[in-house]
Amino acid sequence: MGDVSTKISIEHLTYKYPFAKNVSLEDITLSIDAGQSIGIIGRNGAGKSTLCYVLSGLIPRFFHGKITGKVTIDGEDVPTMPLEKLIRKVGLVLQNPFSQISGAKMTVYEEVAFGLENLGIEKDEMHERIDTVLRQFDLYKKKDENPFELSGGQLQRLAIASVLVLKPEILILDEPTSQLDPRGTTEVFETISQLKTLGITILIVEHKFEKLVEYVDKIALLHEGKLLGYDTAEHIFSTSEIETYGVGQPIYTALCKRMGLKKANGYYPVSFGETVALLNGLKGSGMDRRTYNG
Amino acid sequence: MRVLSLYVENDTFIHKLEPITKLLYALISIVITFLFPSIMVGAVFVAFSLLLAISAKVFKRMLLLLNVVLIVLLSMVIIQGLFYRENVTPAFRLWGLTFYKEGLLYSLLLIVRVVNMIISFGVLILTTRPSDLVDDLVQKGLSPRFGYVLASVLQIIPQMLSTTSTITDAQRSRGLETEGNLFQRFSAFFALLGPLVLNSLVEARERAMAIEIRGFSVEGKRTFVRQIPETKADRWIKISLYVAFIVAVVWRIILWVM
Repeated sequence: MGDVSTKISIEHLTYKYPFAKNVSLEDITLSIDAGQSIGIIGRNGAGKSTLCYVLSGLIPRFFHGKITGKVTIDGEDVPTMPLEKLIRKVGLVLQNPFSQISGAKMTVYEEVAFGLENLGIEKDEMHERIDTVLRQFDLYKKKDENPFELSGGQLQRLAIASVLVLKPEILILDEPTSQLDPRGTTEVFETISQLKTLGITILIVEHKFEKLVEYVDKIALLHEGKLLGYDTAEHIFSTSEIETYGVGQPIYTALCKRMGLKKANGYYPVSFGETVALLNGLKGSGMDRRTYNG
Repeated sequence: MRVLSLYVENDTFIHKLEPITKLLYALISIVITFLFPSIMVGAVFVAFSLLLAISAKVFKRMLLLLNVVLIVLLSMVIIQGLFYRENVTPAFRLWGLTFYKEGLLYSLLLIVRVVNMIISFGVLILTTRPSDLVDDLVQKGLSPRFGYVLASVLQIIPQMLSTTSTITDAQRSRGLETEGNLFQRFSAFFALLGPLVLNSLVEARERAMAIEIRGFSVEGKRTFVRQIPETKADRWIKISLYVAFIVAVVWRIILWVM
């Protein structure tokens, strides 16, 4: 059993989908503390979603294949944990908000109740939990509407609410904003920000790095199934190799790399705020930005 | 709301009845009209079902439903009137064809049975939210998996239709001819089928994953956020229906033995 504050522990995890030629995850080892927010990045096919499926138990329950290594949550083995118990520990939100709706419920309220009904939660508690999450995600006014009538952002919030109503201790979001417009994206990230304050451990796969870096404590960089880096955003994005993995970087980091601007600690800024602070500092020192032509 | 449903929102006594009560009425009235080869019995049930439709304020919609089967009913009259094997007594001649009394009476019997079937099921469908019917059946013991299939089809098929129109637009914008002669339409159909089937399969897989992580396959007792209430009226109607069913079966056996 790991350290008491360790929520998720992954040791030498390797996984290969059935009929696949190559492994999708190779010898992954990392640990995540309770309450931490972790960003998972990597280009397509890096194994990001596969890692989410392992942690949420979909592998090996839904996808079979060959899995080796050890994955534990609170010291308990994930692949063999009973589904009912696992659901109360881990919630997973997928990228397409439309296909996450059960499709069997006619109202937003009933949609949120779907998971609770499956778990046999008593009616009074069910109403209490549903009311709470709908208010928390600003969906209470929409409770009698058909889920398919919601906008993309609202639908994704509904998907998150439908998972969080089960009170998981860990929430995994697999590219939750990939199909949303800027407004929908902001709505989802505001929701994530709320969840952080509740102490939920969050793992989020995301390509919108400018947003991501503002919300996560650490970033895991995956490439061709291997974990190449697991550190703070400024560590990960300041490396010169990052560009060779084809994952991109925050626009602010790219700009500062081009201009040769580093923070006092020697790393490049990753967020808008850090970049502005750095540029303001330069102005105060009497230096012209144009002199930094990288 | 894009749902495959003919439900008419209203606040009547029939709307408030438990869906299973209405389903039971439809089934038992159909069985009774088929048990008795009597136009009168059929006509009584047609009249009663119509009365239910009027009191539920869905009469106009009901006429539309009946309109759909009008041609079938008319063809029954013609075929049985002309060719029923027990035809003996000529009733009238039309355009040189002789219609027989026995055939016309038999077609009338078939008509009351079919019309009753449509009206009694019509009352159920027009006054019940489809999800309520499915929820009620699941709460009474129908497999949740089967209930899920029934309920989701009502919403997912209209969504698939909307996806089809998106794919059609996308293919059209790339020069696909979706209109024109039969051959052009047929070849366009295959160009639409591929993306539609693949898209539906991907969505179905994601939906299966999403409901799995919300405990869909967890065994054990389920609870329901919306309990479909069984009122006193429901109980009495159900008891009356069971009694009517038993009486009808016994009566039919007696008639058969005698």
